[in-house]
Amino acid sequence: MSKGVHVKFSNVSKRFRTPKGDWYQALKELNFEIQPGEFVALVGPTGCGKSTALTLLAGLEQSSIGEVSVDGTAVKDIDIRTGFVFQHDATFPWMSVANNVGAGPKFRGLDPKEYRPLVQKWIAKVGLVGFEKHYPHQLSGGMKKRVALAQALINEPQLLLMDEPFSALDVQTRSIMTDELMTLWETTGSTVLFVTHDLEEAIALADRVIVLTAGPAQVKADFKIELARPRKAREIRFTEEFLKIYQNIWEVLRDEVDIAYQRQLIAPSEK
Amino acid sequence: MAEDFLSDAEIKRKQTKHRINVHSLQLAVAVALLGSWQILADKKILDPFFYGRPSGVMHQLGVWIQHGTSIGSIWVNAWVTLYEATYGFLAGVILGIIFGVFLARNPTAAEIFAPYIKVSNSIPRVVLGSIFVLWLGLGSISKVALAFVLVFFPVFFNAFQGTREADNKLIANARLLGASKRQVTTKIVFPSALSWITASMHVSFGFALIGAIVGEFLGAQRGLGLLIATAQGNFNPNGVYAAMLLIAIMALTAEWLITKLEDRLLKWRPTQVSGTEH
Repeated sequence: MSKGVHVKFSNVSKRFRTPKGDWYQALKELNFEIQPGEFVALVGPTGCGKSTALTLLAGLEQSSIGEVSVDGTAVKDIDIRTGFVFQHDATFPWMSVANNVGAGPKFRGLDPKEYRPLVQKWIAKVGLVGFEKHYPHQLSGGMKKRVALAQALINEPQLLLMDEPFSALDVQTRSIMTDELMTLWETTGSTVLFVTHDLEEAIALADRVIVLTAGPAQVKADFKIELARPRKAREIRFTEEFLKIYQNIWEVLRDEVDIAYQRQLIAPSEK
Repeated sequence: MAEDFLSDAEIKRKQTKHRINVHSLQLAVAVALLGSWQILADKKILDPFFYGRPSGVMHQLGVWIQHGTSIGSIWVNAWVTLYEATYGFLAGVILGIIFGVFLARNPTAAEIFAPYIKVSNSIPRVVLGSIFVLWLGLGSISKVALAFVLVFFPVFFNAFQGTREADNKLIANARLLGASKRQVTTKIVFPSALSWITASMHVSFGFALIGAIVGEFLGAQRGLGLLIATAQGNFNPNGVYAAMLLIAIMALTAEWLITKLEDRLLKWRPTQVSGTEH
């Protein structure tokens, strides 16, 4: 299917105006690269700027300093080669499941005759056959997430960005969705940047786990995950290999989590 | 012990019984109010010359239906008022939506027009009726114009606010899925503003009727407003009430139609939890 793209963050810094009027720096001289077809998980303590990195790469925001590039071209605006799965439900409540899944092809001006079979195929892939005419409010959280996945993947994105996509789900649904994402991704070959604060999820899914510092985010460490594919996320987390990797990364991540937690205690109102 | 759920038939029977109870009590309230009015008027405690009485209102309606009014057939007069209100309503709703959505989607334009909108909103708009009668004459157009002005602003403000409140996350998602700015407006922003817009439509049909009737007060050749003004001039309170009753029927019918339309347009919304069930 689609071929993944190359992603590069070069010296990227980003600051925001806070509601109080002062500046908040989310990213500081962030540098990393993702090879085509690689699945990279970005982990870090809450509020460290992980999501900001994603919105820059998606073209939803611009960096203050430095450059984010895809296949060597700086990202200036939204690029429709990019698919995005949001943390919270972003399905369109007034569209049926079928129309939600078909939204991308429709917006892109494809012929309904052409994409309708594709919609049906993706509804089947995410296990929602029989729910085509349902509206999002009639679905469970996990089902809505499946709609969101199909909605993003039907466009065969060369770059798939996911912002803690499963964090709003209960633990069981979450591990099922992790496995399903794995199966879906393994056939696409797209580049993935997956933001999460769940280290287990990150290791189970990714080829590489990048650990960010407490905000402003910088790359603290970069781990290659040498676990064989195809993986079964639900079982792999009990293997010895997995636990070893987990321990290694947790050693690094723990300090940053502590720093972030201390800061929250001092300034509870700040993000 | 075995579980004994109520059967569907039993639940249905209970609900029917509840409904009948409510309706009969509602009827009792109406009978009590109208009945005491009738009795007080018959006993001259309320002077029927000024206050009228229910039987007089019914008699007046009967006369109008059988013999027509001093200004022609009652149906023609009712129809004139209805279409003045309806045209004003439709024009106000359509233009209110267009301007509201457009300005909310174009912040610079909104900034430029903001003071003018504030000023025109602060004008007591009913007064414009006099201007419209001067400009557009005694015919229906001046009434349609007044109804339009009364409807436009509430719809405009709701459309504007509803558009502003559209979820940024949904807009970002649509753009990432490939939507153009125009598609974002029509497929994302407009549907999310719809519940605001339909809410304003409920109040604004009432405004449209007010516009038509006040316009007719100010100067007209036909219409229920003129009928009311004539009845007032003849010291005929029953005539005023009879015309009021016809206007109320129109307003309720319109409200029912708007609710139907709303249910259709917003069928994707979760159903509201109803307090009357069970």
